[in-house]
Amino acid sequence: MEHPRSITAIQTASILVSTIIGVGVLPLPLFAVEAADSGGPLVTLVAVLLSFAGLSIITVLGMRFPHQSIVEYSEQVIGKWPAWIGSMLIIAFFAVLTSLTAREFGEVVVTSVLKKTPVEITVIVMLLLAAISTRNSIATFSYIHFFYFPLLLWPALFIVALSLKNADVLNLQPIWGNKPKDFLGGVITIAALLQGSFILTIVIPRMRRPEKAMISSLIGLTIAGGLYVIIVAATVSVFGAEEIKQLLWPTLELAKATSLPANVLERLDAAFLAVWVTAVFTTLLSSYFLTIYALRQLLRLQEHKMFAFFLLPFVFVMAMLPQNIVNMYDIIEIVGRIGLFLTIGYPALLLLVSILRGKRGKRHGESSSL
Amino acid sequence: MEKVRLSNFVKSLLVLSMIAPLLTGCWDRLEIEERAIVLGVSIDSVSQENEDDEDEVTHIKDTIPVPEGQMIRVGVQIAIPGKIPLGPGESGGGGKGGGGQTVWVIDVVGHSVDDAFMNLQQQMSSRLFFGHLRVIVVSEDLAARGMENINDYFRRNSEVRRMAWMVVSKGKAKAFMEAAPKLERVPTLYLMTTVEEAIRMGKFPKDFIGIYWSNTSKKGQEGFLPYVELKKEQNVEISGLAFFKGAKMVGVSKPLEIGAFLAIKGINPAGYRAFVKLDGTKETVMIASTHRKSKLDVRFQNGRPHFTIHIALDINLEEKMSDSLNLNDPKIIRRIEQTEAEASNRFGMEFIRKSQEFDSDIFGFGEYVRAKKPGYWNRNVRSAKKWQEIYKDASFEVITQVRVRRVGMKAR
Repeated sequence: MEHPRSITAIQTASILVSTIIGVGVLPLPLFAVEAADSGGPLVTLVAVLLSFAGLSIITVLGMRFPHQSIVEYSEQVIGKWPAWIGSMLIIAFFAVLTSLTAREFGEVVVTSVLKKTPVEITVIVMLLLAAISTRNSIATFSYIHFFYFPLLLWPALFIVALSLKNADVLNLQPIWGNKPKDFLGGVITIAALLQGSFILTIVIPRMRRPEKAMISSLIGLTIAGGLYVIIVAATVSVFGAEEIKQLLWPTLELAKATSLPANVLERLDAAFLAVWVTAVFTTLLSSYFLTIYALRQLLRLQEHKMFAFFLLPFVFVMAMLPQNIVNMYDIIEIVGRIGLFLTIGYPALLLLVSILRGKRGKRHGESSSL
Repeated sequence: MEKVRLSNFVKSLLVLSMIAPLLTGCWDRLEIEERAIVLGVSIDSVSQENEDDEDEVTHIKDTIPVPEGQMIRVGVQIAIPGKIPLGPGESGGGGKGGGGQTVWVIDVVGHSVDDAFMNLQQQMSSRLFFGHLRVIVVSEDLAARGMENINDYFRRNSEVRRMAWMVVSKGKAKAFMEAAPKLERVPTLYLMTTVEEAIRMGKFPKDFIGIYWSNTSKKGQEGFLPYVELKKEQNVEISGLAFFKGAKMVGVSKPLEIGAFLAIKGINPAGYRAFVKLDGTKETVMIASTHRKSKLDVRFQNGRPHFTIHIALDINLEEKMSDSLNLNDPKIIRRIEQTEAEASNRFGMEFIRKSQEFDSDIFGFGEYVRAKKPGYWNRNVRSAKKWQEIYKDASFEVITQVRVRRVGMKAR
């Protein structure tokens, strides 16, 4: 059965951007600075390049099999059972990623704004929102992203631009940092924040013109990665690397230290959090959608809707597992690093095998002429 | 047909009843009149005898070991709802101005900042709210003892804004909470306006609490805070910069030395006035600086950094003391420029030497080395402590260039 192909290249790019920009934006400068002091922006840039390498593997794979998602073509490439294991791991990983995103969101909200609200409530509300929204078709899914994309890009840039009033270029020098302690570790940690881009594997089969996927992923990652680098650069230049090490969520602190001209708003953290909730929602939506959509394909079902609420309790319980915020960030770091093997290593393996075995899917247009 | 409509009605009723619990409000609802809005905080040190003043709120005496060190007295200025004028034109409040009516000042003792706030909360009906905290006044002797606990508490508290001010007071900090200056209805706002206007007039660098924290954290820089003094009409004088070494205050500058700091950093607008006494004559003129520019260079001599600071000052003439001086003469103008340049060089050098005596690099020369000469920094410095040692031995050279631009409305 041929599904309608309705997603345009621009929508694909916007899906990537709003998926990548998410909860990780808040601790991002801390991760970058812990790796290389004033070299934080460079670490971020390298991380963006690394994840672009990963994303281009996925894109090339997707263009080789323009009618199938990773769950489907992996069976063709490496055989049914190994592919089943790989897909199961991906589904499990994105379920965990969803729960950790929701939990991190809950922790930020409970620490900084709604201090008396139980963290369970903020987590469940966010998860419910995502679950309800995933009960739509993938076309609606792409509309949702397309709609929110400008809403989260411009305010973020606006806050960064305003904050530069207090910036000091000396804080950014030397650009490679003073004796970087753990440059590679930082690159991997930040690249892990960007792995929401894996959503592309299920978007390509629904793209109107899959051959444009590469341009979409280039645009999407340039915008999202560019924003990441800009945020790190602004935060480092305003606070200095050493001060950032004292802050759990430097980006939020940046919004707190920024005021609109003429004292219209003396601190922008409330405005920033409002934007950020949207960003977290789109990220959650993507990772949860990916989870249930891949599960549907793995089990060869027609509809993914029923999983939306079926998986919710599991995701919620997983979100509640970390004991405290320190524990949570340890888990996020470990899970993120493991995830890189799945979102970059596994597709790389698939690509290699498919080239060696000469496997490729039907070209776009071939099936419609049938 | 009737049945379908009924079931639809039942369905929508069910949905409504499900929404109802979500609309009842939320955990964090806190009406504005239920908050005790803290506008200013003062922190003083107290002697150990005052321990008896403390209530047993966070700990029962002699059961839990309390933190080492002396206790502190925390005073807060709480806005009285309805008494604060809401806008410039607002006549609200009905008070005749002056503090004591718009705000309520309470003080408690405690072992730490949070301990003191909890002792205070026990005595207050409404919840303490720090979202509008504008000024934190720390007394000189407490600052000298160390600010770790204070910095930690206010950094950790999510309500406190980074644009608030922290100042070090000469004498008791609590006096600033009780002061009632005539110009503002809210005393802490007066204190804040004093500092913020000083920035606009070129008499003080931007030094919000967030900037102070950043400077303190940096390896090649120390923090500094405004040093304020309460004068006899309850007005506030900015009487210098408080030097910090790490979290401890180590010294104070003179008011004019703030001008030297601003000139070395090249911060605009410029606003300090100075006398220039022309050598050879008894003539004295007063000049006002209007624009500053500075450029920093560093070389290394025998492993020690040598900084050259080029300062360019634009000045205006403001007054002269006698008629015999003819300002139309370009030679006189040039002499004024030269004399002022020499004075500025000497003054800048002295101020830097003073900061070296305190081991307190409030200028951020170390940050400059870290940023521009990472090779030297990585080999020889790498920590804040090491930079304090090197800074002590660093040599400096200040080269000032002065240009007289204007002489006011009077010819000659």
